Amino acid sequence: MPGKSRRDFLKKSAIIGAGITGLSTSTAKAGPKNILSPDRMGVLVDTTVCVGCRNCEWACKDAHNLPAGNLESYEDRKVFEKKRRPDHTALTVVNEYSPGKNSNMPVDVKVQCMHCDHPACVSACIVGAFSKQENGSVIWDTDMCIGCRYCMVACPFQVPAFEYHKALHPDIMKCDFCFERTKEGKLPACVEICPVEALTYGPRTELVRVARERIKKNPDRYIDHIFGEYEVGGTSWMYLANKDFSELDFPKLGDKPAPGVSESIQHGIFAYFVPPVSLYALLGGIMWISKRRKELEEELK
Amino acid sequence: MKKFNYLLTVLFLVTSVSAQQNIGKKHLQLNINCKTCHTCDVPTKNEPCLVTCPRERIATVYQKPEETPELIVINELVKRYSPVYFSHRIHAQMSAMGGGCEGCHHHNTTGPILKCNSCHEPNRKRENISLPDLKGAYHRQCMDCHREWSGETGCNSCHVPLKDYKPEKKEVIQKRYAGKEHPVILEPTKLVYETNSAKGKLVTFYHDDHSKKFGISCISCHKQESCSKCHGVNRVTDNKPIKVDTKNTFEEQHRNCISCHSKNEDCSKCHSDKVLAPFDHYKSTGWALNKYHINLSCAKCHGSKLPYKKVDNQCISCHQGWNNENFKHSVTGLQLDEMHSELSCEDCHLENNFAIKPSCTNCHDDYSYPKQKPGKVVGKK
Amino acid sequence: MANQLHNPVPIKRKYFTPGVFVLIILALNGLVFLIGRFLFGIGAVTNLDNQYPWGLWIGVDVAAGVALAAGGFTTAALGHVMHKEEYHAIVRPALLTAMLGYTFVAMGVFVDIGRWYYIWHPLIMWNGNSALFEVGICVMIYLTVLYIEFLPIVTERFIGRVNLPGFLSILNKPVDKFLRVLDKGLSKTMFIFIIAGVVLSTLHQSSLGTLMIIAGPKMHPLWQTPVLPLLFLLSAIAVGFPMVIFESLIASRSLGLKPEMHILTRLGSMIAPLLGIYLAFKIGDMFIRETFVYLTEFNTASVMFTIELLFGVIIPLRMFLSPKVLKSPLLLFIASTLVVLGVLINRINNFIVAYTPPYAEKTYFPSFGEISVTVGFVAMLVLAYRFIVMNFPVISLPGKHSAPQAKYTIRGVGK
Repeated sequence: MPGKSRRDFLKKSAIIGAGITGLSTSTAKAGPKNILSPDRMGVLVDTTVCVGCRNCEWACKDAHNLPAGNLESYEDRKVFEKKRRPDHTALTVVNEYSPGKNSNMPVDVKVQCMHCDHPACVSACIVGAFSKQENGSVIWDTDMCIGCRYCMVACPFQVPAFEYHKALHPDIMKCDFCFERTKEGKLPACVEICPVEALTYGPRTELVRVARERIKKNPDRYIDHIFGEYEVGGTSWMYLANKDFSELDFPKLGDKPAPGVSESIQHGIFAYFVPPVSLYALLGGIMWISKRRKELEEELK
Repeated sequence: MKKFNYLLTVLFLVTSVSAQQNIGKKHLQLNINCKTCHTCDVPTKNEPCLVTCPRERIATVYQKPEETPELIVINELVKRYSPVYFSHRIHAQMSAMGGGCEGCHHHNTTGPILKCNSCHEPNRKRENISLPDLKGAYHRQCMDCHREWSGETGCNSCHVPLKDYKPEKKEVIQKRYAGKEHPVILEPTKLVYETNSAKGKLVTFYHDDHSKKFGISCISCHKQESCSKCHGVNRVTDNKPIKVDTKNTFEEQHRNCISCHSKNEDCSKCHSDKVLAPFDHYKSTGWALNKYHINLSCAKCHGSKLPYKKVDNQCISCHQGWNNENFKHSVTGLQLDEMHSELSCEDCHLENNFAIKPSCTNCHDDYSYPKQKPGKVVGKK
Repeated sequence: MANQLHNPVPIKRKYFTPGVFVLIILALNGLVFLIGRFLFGIGAVTNLDNQYPWGLWIGVDVAAGVALAAGGFTTAALGHVMHKEEYHAIVRPALLTAMLGYTFVAMGVFVDIGRWYYIWHPLIMWNGNSALFEVGICVMIYLTVLYIEFLPIVTERFIGRVNLPGFLSILNKPVDKFLRVLDKGLSKTMFIFIIAGVVLSTLHQSSLGTLMIIAGPKMHPLWQTPVLPLLFLLSAIAVGFPMVIFESLIASRSLGLKPEMHILTRLGSMIAPLLGIYLAFKIGDMFIRETFVYLTEFNTASVMFTIELLFGVIIPLRMFLSPKVLKSPLLLFIASTLVVLGVLINRINNFIVAYTPPYAEKTYFPSFGEISVTVGFVAMLVLAYRFIVMNFPVISLPGKHSAPQAKYTIRGVGK
């Protein structure tokens, strides 16, 4: 390679190296808001109290400007024949299961985003459109989302839904913990309407205490498990039940945060850009040495 | 210094004890529950937390359902729906078998009935979230049962939307609920259960024997009965056995039976392949009940404590007042003729054993009992 | 010298053949469904739903596309970084394949994301925690690098031959001048881009493996492993040369050229160790995590895993170890095809088969529309490849010996 000296090579490599390191300091901070406030709020769902009236479904749609219909139509209990999942028409749904221990009433389980303490969606989102807020809610920013649906792949509860029917501006739809309402000091719509207060809204630490107390006071009524206390590193929404959560279609999850492994790999590969820059330098070295050897061979001839 | 402290302590103790006694003097004689007059647990001189008068008509959880109000209007949280008219007395009567007053009026066992809102806050957004709020508390009381027997959870099954509500005069509403009581509960006579027991599939349970003959009160078995036990189930009218399919343990499944019957009793006593006959005093004990005894409650002879204790067949064991002077033989159904009435008891009833009926041939060679009787038969045995 | 064989020229052939017409029909069919996707939304064309957010387009167009374009960086590493000039003849075709491959990866992404008009967002909205962000950024930069690497081929084609039509012809001279300056600048800085290309490829090939790790228990344990990024990188490195062989043999057959067996045999001899390393890690991972128990079950997962490993790695590994295979164009082609298909199946397995969402009511199978679009893209890629090798100096003609050239010889100047 004529005109290319070793000094030249090193100089350019150094410039690129500096450039990339400069880049890395800004990337280290780049990322969505992901706050784990000690005062974060949550909801304790007591499935032994829930009567399956589905008023929460109506209130949710009403609060999020989705077609809700009239409240009376939600009295229809035929919907329970099929297990439903939240989607773009309903951010929360109630499913019904056979009775648990010491009860002859069916178990009704409200399903919505769990608002993880270490959300996989926040970690996964390519543009950082998801964020975990001070009040515990995990929300999504429509102005950033590119619709790649990686959040749906990442979510351990399979909650985010996508508007597949829309050609333009499809949204990712999921419970936002009524972020706009709570900002105004109101309760989440579902919590407000629940006739039996199966949904208790409060600081997460307080909810854990209340849940423990309920289990301790009524050991016949509950199984000794607060779902969401430790699952995937803890969730803002937690559940009490009188039968095993796997029988209520809750996924079996460990205590480790969902994004843990992938984030540590990411941070390992990109630890202050040292590995890529080292690789770059190494390859540059190999290139220079092999080039030099070739030149020497030719000189010897 | 030490002594001074000691003196102070003694002084303090003396004064405090005397203060308590001063209060107690009047109160102890009254022999009523503190909560009848005080709403708080520890009334003090400055804060006696007295309930409003008249205090002698204070409702407590010890009242009989029949003494409770027929109607209660719940109008504290009227927002979207009209006030709710709650037929209290009927519900109180029904809850007799479902936990009693305390079933709803929980944490309320000693004193006057507390209002729900004295513990349950009317605001859902609140500091103390260990108790449900007022709306939740009300609905839990109603819906726990109502959804069980009606299967309905819609608001309009209890509520009238405020826009459709026509306010009525209080008297009109009260009149409508006046005298509303729960109809008499029909009692089954016999229940046949089909179990999956290997030692006899069928279990025959004579409900009226237990309730009437044995005098067992309803709530000694029906303590925490769910509403759907009566409501919302198709009463079995045909004589098909009631299927019992359970994964409960032996203890759980036989809970009501083994509270009286021994757990170790022979299974075949209840479990059989055919429907068993009702309780027969003669068959079970070898002692037939006569027309007087048959009408007695079991407790009359066997004592009120369950399980009943065995009684021997000597009349005198129960009829302790009987003696030679005052005993009228006619109560046995036989009025003795003059001749026999002269005899002493032991002449006929050998060794004073009244359980064995005397036979004429004991004394007479030519008479044969029972063809000829020593007097006039006054009653059929 | 080894580079006597390095003599890239445009291959003059008739463009339209019966095969080309078939490809055009396939491309048009894909185009129809593409229009459907943009007019009526993703749901109208695909079988994707809330349970299966990713399907064929991500699994094949993107993940497999990136893996199969790995020939670009492996040959660049071999030819330029290791300075093995004897392989320079295959660097350009591999570069073209990579460039086209990544272009279609980008198009696949463009089609698959719901808001295609926001595709530029990752450039300014960064999420350092996201594996997808890293893949996205690396692919974007690498695509640019690939175009830059390809630029000398364009300058080489036009320098001294700029012939603009009509009045634009007065610009012929300035354009020519510009191209010469560009070419000179590029030849001086090209090594930066070549190394950058290799680094970027290493990064995003592995990060593509990180993508599915966050799915956690939703992914079948046969594939879900923390070493997934390493497996992806190793398999990408292993598939690089087989892909070059595969593509070179097809191209020579299609263009009626003599297979460049002298290079391909040597290239083939390097595949076995690379495949061997990949296999060792794959099997080692399986034994360390004791996931082989899942192979005793008979279901889609175990069958697909066995196919992937047996036909995609073990059999071709054995074949590449045999000198007979390395010398026979047919056997070499079969062995390479097996590796290519093996990696394709591996990516499909990782992104589609292994993904078992908790609330799925039915399993995902791509719709006709999805398959049409993917097939259409492949057809377009082949058509573009054919067009470019016929008009640009990409393929070296064996036997046409010319004077040894510097790497970026300026055609029409040095002669």
